[in-house]
Amino acid sequence: MTTRLERNVTYGILAVFTVIALTPVIGVLSTAFGSQSSLDTGFSLPSGGLHWNNFTDAWSRGHFGTYLGNSVLVTAVVVAATTVLAVLAAYAFGVMRFPGSTVLFYLFVIGLTLPQEALVVPLYFDLRHAELTDTSWALILPQTAQSLAFGVFWMRTYFRGSARAVIEAARLDGANTWTTLWRVLVPMGRPAISTMVVITFMWTWNEFLMALVMVSDEAHRTVPLGLAFFQGQHSSDAVLLAAASVLIALPVVVVYVALQRRFIEGMLGGAVKE
Amino acid sequence: MEFARTGARPPRGRAVPAALALGAVLFAAGCVPGTDGSGAAGARTGVATAVPDPATAGKVTLTVWDQEIRGGTNGEIQQLNREFEKKYPNVRIKRVARSFTDLKTTLKLAVSGNNPPDVIQANQGYPDMVAFVRAGLLTPLDDYAGIYDWNTRYPATLLGLNRVSADGRDFGRGRLYGISQTGEYIGLYYNKDVLRKAGLKPPRTWGEFTDGLARLKDRGELPIQFGNLDKYPAIHTFGVLQDQLGAAGARDTVLGRGDGFDNAATKNAAATLADWAKRGYLPGGANGLGYDDAAKQFASGDGAYLLTGTWQLTDLKKPMGDKLGIMPPPPAKAGAAPVTTGGQGLAWSITSRSRHPEVAAAYLDFLTDAHAADVMTRHGVLPAVPARAADRVSPDTADGQMVAGWKRLSAADGLVPYLDYSTPSFYDTLSAALQGVISGKTSPDAFAATLQKDYGAFMKKRREQHTSAGTE
Amino acid sequence: MKITALTRAYRRRAPGEPRAIGYLYIAPALAVYAVFLLYPFGQSVWLSFVHWDGLSVATPAGLDNYRALFADPALRAPFRHALLLLVFYSALPVAIGLLLAAVMSRVRVRGMTFFRTVLFLPQVLALIVVGVAWRSILAPDGLLNDALRAVGLGGLARPWLGDYTWALPAVGVVGTWVGTGLCMVLFLAGAQRIPRELYEAARMDGAGPLREFLAVTLPGLRPQIAVALTLTIVAGLRNFDLIYITTSGGPGNATSVPAYEVYHRAFETNQVGSAAAVGVALTALIFVLTVTVSRLVEGRRA
Repeated sequence: MTTRLERNVTYGILAVFTVIALTPVIGVLSTAFGSQSSLDTGFSLPSGGLHWNNFTDAWSRGHFGTYLGNSVLVTAVVVAATTVLAVLAAYAFGVMRFPGSTVLFYLFVIGLTLPQEALVVPLYFDLRHAELTDTSWALILPQTAQSLAFGVFWMRTYFRGSARAVIEAARLDGANTWTTLWRVLVPMGRPAISTMVVITFMWTWNEFLMALVMVSDEAHRTVPLGLAFFQGQHSSDAVLLAAASVLIALPVVVVYVALQRRFIEGMLGGAVKE
Repeated sequence: MEFARTGARPPRGRAVPAALALGAVLFAAGCVPGTDGSGAAGARTGVATAVPDPATAGKVTLTVWDQEIRGGTNGEIQQLNREFEKKYPNVRIKRVARSFTDLKTTLKLAVSGNNPPDVIQANQGYPDMVAFVRAGLLTPLDDYAGIYDWNTRYPATLLGLNRVSADGRDFGRGRLYGISQTGEYIGLYYNKDVLRKAGLKPPRTWGEFTDGLARLKDRGELPIQFGNLDKYPAIHTFGVLQDQLGAAGARDTVLGRGDGFDNAATKNAAATLADWAKRGYLPGGANGLGYDDAAKQFASGDGAYLLTGTWQLTDLKKPMGDKLGIMPPPPAKAGAAPVTTGGQGLAWSITSRSRHPEVAAAYLDFLTDAHAADVMTRHGVLPAVPARAADRVSPDTADGQMVAGWKRLSAADGLVPYLDYSTPSFYDTLSAALQGVISGKTSPDAFAATLQKDYGAFMKKRREQHTSAGTE
Repeated sequence: MKITALTRAYRRRAPGEPRAIGYLYIAPALAVYAVFLLYPFGQSVWLSFVHWDGLSVATPAGLDNYRALFADPALRAPFRHALLLLVFYSALPVAIGLLLAAVMSRVRVRGMTFFRTVLFLPQVLALIVVGVAWRSILAPDGLLNDALRAVGLGGLARPWLGDYTWALPAVGVVGTWVGTGLCMVLFLAGAQRIPRELYEAARMDGAGPLREFLAVTLPGLRPQIAVALTLTIVAGLRNFDLIYITTSGGPGNATSVPAYEVYHRAFETNQVGSAAAVGVALTALIFVLTVTVSRLVEGRRA
């Protein structure tokens, strides 16, 4: 039905946009392997072999070891906490009926549109008062709260869609709500849960504003901040800067390439399913 | 524009009860910690009476935030930190170095947090240092200044720039809240090769300098390298131009006793800057070029002149070698006293909640004494008070020229403080307005009016405060 | 009577279920959510009605902070910029995405996984990394200007991020880059799901490509368009990282946006109340726009 022309045009367009999407990424990658002595301030091509030492240089000069450690810690805790709390709450919203459930659910949903900019100012003063700024908690707690909005919304969709018959069968087998959840629904819901996990992972890993405001102490800084200040210090060192960017983007990109379906599904928020 | 935490659109419907519930929460939220004023720490006074001995302080970690990230100053600080730790093995220095703009954006959050750094580099003037003092975040150093003889080590004019009145209102007098390590002035760097090829010699007068610009341009050379993406560099360029037209007036204005910015010197300096940009004496994309990128390009031979601070010397000298020269901006008449913008590097201050103020004071002294001055000189950095090593620097090298220029400027009292000290918001006002002048968007008259509006409003407020303080 | 009806409804849906236990499941999440999200938002609203420098005693401000949003040019500008940026962050990606989906909707694409992965990639990169990459591209001697010069359009080359007229569009284009892939992926997926018969019917009626697009593709993609608009609008308005890393609001204040203004006022210039008002106004703006979108595009009443 489709003509050869249509086919060619389609692939042509896809190719053009692929190139556009990849140019900045490849530019950074190729610059990262360049020679540090180059006076180029923009993208460059590696000359005289690949300079792997750029990564070790950026790593040590930018203290990225510490930053990565902090990012891993914060991200792991936020993801774990969000997953457990969201699964519990969404389970109740999804399969139980109790007065006020709708209102409470929409209260969570409102969080999807609340911008951080409307929270960060009082949060800073609250957490400073509680002596939590400059600790990982100052990043973990607010980010968990914000991820919960998505987590609860997302998991509720799953629980609603899960077969009522399965739940009934579990109950007839004598399972209570708790065992039904963990023995039956959670194992079945692994795809939905992994989507939530990767999305929360990405948001937390990339978070910038909270990290900028809440943490002044070098020992608790996370990678996006590390890169921002690294860029201030080495703004004319295109090569080191590119190497640092690669180091920071890599974990998310690797997970993304491996699990791209989960990412896309999560970020489009189930809209495609409707 | 990451789609952070917006993974789904808000479902519609039944939003009303949710909004009502939210409203209830809002109603419940009635206060934010600190809004009762409890956040303001009272100003403390130093009570030191004898020279502190850090060796007896036990295990101490001193957290230091500075912005000395460039080749020369970075090396010099690293060396001095190592030496200090060697001298006092019980002290560990945790250094956090970041760029000037990043330091400026994050310092207030850091010093007002629960674990502020012990030592910070604060920019002088109303935007930063005065604001910190007023919030009770810095320790006055007058006692230490007596103990360590800082009062005699430094000229009074330099110390004055680190002073804030006890009530935290006035800059330039009162208590001492910081001490600077480096001297600095905005100098005229030149590339000897480029000048020679254009048949020019390093200018002896301002007229020679400006005449040469046209000639360079005709020969296809970029006369003045300049990058202003970071916003602040133009403050320095403009300062130099304004100083040529009225240094005394500019200094009085910064110190709060001048006639402000609604004057011929301001307008003509802005007109000159706009004219340079229009004639192509500055790079076409100055507002889009990073400050360090511009320096890098100057070092690679693009540009005959670079008007910037002495802090760039080491990084420029490394690639340029003997091609590099530096002088204070030439005076109107050959041999006359030079004037320029400058003074001293950012002040090193001790935060009021530091648990080791005495160790911090010893560290400050160590960073600024005669030995430190020699270390700085060896690293190509200009010390505020040059010591013996400075005398041994060959006068023909760029380092020697830099030191000689500093001595001439100091002798002639030719240093005008940075204009951004003037009011609490002046850094933002001035840097934004100057980008407008360079792009040709803001006329010199409008520029002067913008500055005067900020300055005039602040002076009026200060006068009112002083009057009301007087009647109380 | 009403109550019994309610109970019956519950009973019918989940017979024998102990209902109160639902609260227990929700409690932990709700506690964290309320303390670290709802409560601070309430505090923001409260702060927006006071004058506070972050240190001394806060004084009531009434509506001053909100009035300033309209009266003070320094506060009006960021909102104007944000709305202009939406053209780049939201309208353009959706328009481009639709156009492409229209062209491609009739072809079954092979290697879709590959294209989808690549097109969507900008979404997962930290904006700081995106900013660093684009700062390099838009620099005076960056890739864009080099490319323009190479094709003989050197006259168009300019310092994109430092040019009063072009800095905002330049930052906007970065947003277009980030958003277009998302819209394309969304629309392609949607278009592949539109029943083939609709196209065939349209063609039998003699519809040209344009009519076909208007009559079949566009209505078929309605829900996806609503999602795309909502996602890109929300993301575009909360644009802090990108501005921080590329222009810091410059040149002059040509690229200042509300999100940046919140940080600047609250943590640099001691205008906490004003910062909170900007944050709350931003929230209101997002709310109004997203509700408008869902009503306009989906044509349903809330």
